[in-house]
Amino acid sequence: MRNDPDLIREVEQFLYREARLLDERRFHEWVGLFTDDVRYWMAGRSNLYPKHSKAISILDPSRYVEDDTALEDELALLDETKETLMSRVARLDTGMAWAEDPPSRTRHMISNIEVEPGADENELKVYSNFIVYRSRAGSEEDFYVGARQDVLRRVDGEWKIAGRKMTLDQNVLSAKNVSIFF
Amino acid sequence: MAEDFGGLVDSEQGLVSRRIFIEPEIYEAEQRQIFARCWLFLCHDSQLPLPGDFFSTWMGEDPVLVVRDSGGTVHAFLNVCRHRGNRLCRADHGNAASFTCAYHGWTYTNDGRLSGVPYLKEAYHNELDRNQWGLVPVAQLDQYKGLWFATFDAQAPPLRDYLGEMAWYLDTFVDRRDGGVEVVATHKWIMPCNWKFPAENFGGDAYHVPWSHLSAVTTGFSSGVTTKPATTGAMVSPGNGHVLICVGPDDVGDPPIAEVIAYEQAIRPEVSARLGPRARRINPLVGTVFPNFSLLRATSRTFRVWHPRGPGKTEVWSYVFIDKAAPPEIKEAIRLAGVRGFSPSGSFEQDDMDNWQECTQTCRGVASRRMPLNMQMGLGRDRFDAELGAWASAYRISESNHRQFYRRWAELMAAGGWRELAAAPAREQQYA
Ligand code: FES
Ligand SMILES: [Fe+2]
Repeated sequence: MRNDPDLIREVEQFLYREARLLDERRFHEWVGLFTDDVRYWMAGRSNLYPKHSKAISILDPSRYVEDDTALEDELALLDETKETLMSRVARLDTGMAWAEDPPSRTRHMISNIEVEPGADENELKVYSNFIVYRSRAGSEEDFYVGARQDVLRRVDGEWKIAGRKMTLDQNVLSAKNVSIFF
Repeated sequence: MAEDFGGLVDSEQGLVSRRIFIEPEIYEAEQRQIFARCWLFLCHDSQLPLPGDFFSTWMGEDPVLVVRDSGGTVHAFLNVCRHRGNRLCRADHGNAASFTCAYHGWTYTNDGRLSGVPYLKEAYHNELDRNQWGLVPVAQLDQYKGLWFATFDAQAPPLRDYLGEMAWYLDTFVDRRDGGVEVVATHKWIMPCNWKFPAENFGGDAYHVPWSHLSAVTTGFSSGVTTKPATTGAMVSPGNGHVLICVGPDDVGDPPIAEVIAYEQAIRPEVSARLGPRARRINPLVGTVFPNFSLLRATSRTFRVWHPRGPGKTEVWSYVFIDKAAPPEIKEAIRLAGVRGFSPSGSFEQDDMDNWQECTQTCRGVASRRMPLNMQMGLGRDRFDAELGAWASAYRISESNHRQFYRRWAELMAAGGWRELAAAPAREQQYA
């Protein structure tokens, strides 16, 4: 897999095209890239002492949370199905989705792509990082930065996203909202 | 003599000066006269269940460490090292027997005692009295049904008196079933707005829902109970600036998820028995405990603190909560409803930010700032309702709660202290 440059190139092109659909606000086409059983999910990060920290002496080791991703469901910012993604897209079409009116101008930068074998021969596990710049109204600016773990599945000869798990590398989100997609 | 900022609110005429949303001197005075005086929400008991558990938060701009000591007693301290003032605990939560300052290494036990000072013998010549330099506790700490509150003012009335009749209304959020509630999700983010805009919105703005949030209703994220003409209810103000948006007992504000609606129907007799006859008249959906703690149980289940961060900035710490006794699939459904409805990405909540941001930022203009804001809707159409133990508006959409919220704001900004506030006549008499 790591040694299959054609496959890696294909995956990269798929992800870049997906990013372009988002930046061009072609959300209906974008949502069509997901399988019906997708879980589309993003969580923020907690802010915890590592176990070896000398800042505290732990009283109850059973209460110690080793890894902040253990709290991922608790910190989820997005936890969507295909259906709720479609509802979010439909909401944008109502003319009353005020967070996107005027619309965000986004630029999705996708990098650090790694392709690994998936659960079966039809699937791939794909890692990538993103920097998403948002400019809105006159001078509003936000950066959303994080990592993605995707499951790509070949359906009728085309790649579809069958799972997307994202980590947004902030504890207190600096943006006023998350009204865009990643 | 300092300006009396209380005069910037005219609750009789339903007018409020825009200066209170933007001017740094007023913000500073608010920190002293509101945030350092009132009971402020810290955290829910389920967030520190076991000995040693701690939770870092803020009271106004003061960092506060809430900790359950090794014996199980809950304390709240300024999260500030007594030596050079470094912030002591830098984690959101965790479990600790003791905390050591990252600067020079002073160590405090989880009950606040200063237990360790590096070079105590050599550099302090054993002359530092460690008993004098423990962590500084809040003036008063108490909980109501698992909701922990504290105040920096020793003169403040006890929590139960401060809440007054609001206590029953809190029951309708957190004491519907045996065991109360627990927190299942946390969201923290920055809003570029004055803290009072979200506080007044959650406390009394049923008016914006049919317009600001219609898109979330038409695309299935919310039942949109307050967008329906047949919905009954009232703005309710139980006093002391606490305010709630209520609908009628049979108006359903739950998220439009079949299993959640079925769950609520199934527990209704139990809830009704716990809450008593008043719940057969009124169903509180959203509210604000003065000044900056809000709760909501329509579309999602959330309570949150609007932490002030300067006149034009608010840091919101929001939690999704659910009855502890609910089955796991209901807890999960409510967690998801929270993420999808009331969170930074929430189909409801994301549309609020621009409005509060622009309402705040237009206050920067000299000419704009001269125009008072209008909170006249339903003026003179509210009355004290003894059965509700509160002032209630004639129609369910009204700005009577805005007037009550800002009236309380003005009283606090004008008063020299709690003694003066206590001397003011009871609300019923003021209006009679
Ligand atoms: S500031 Fe904390 S030890 Fe010096
Ligand atoms: Fe709203």
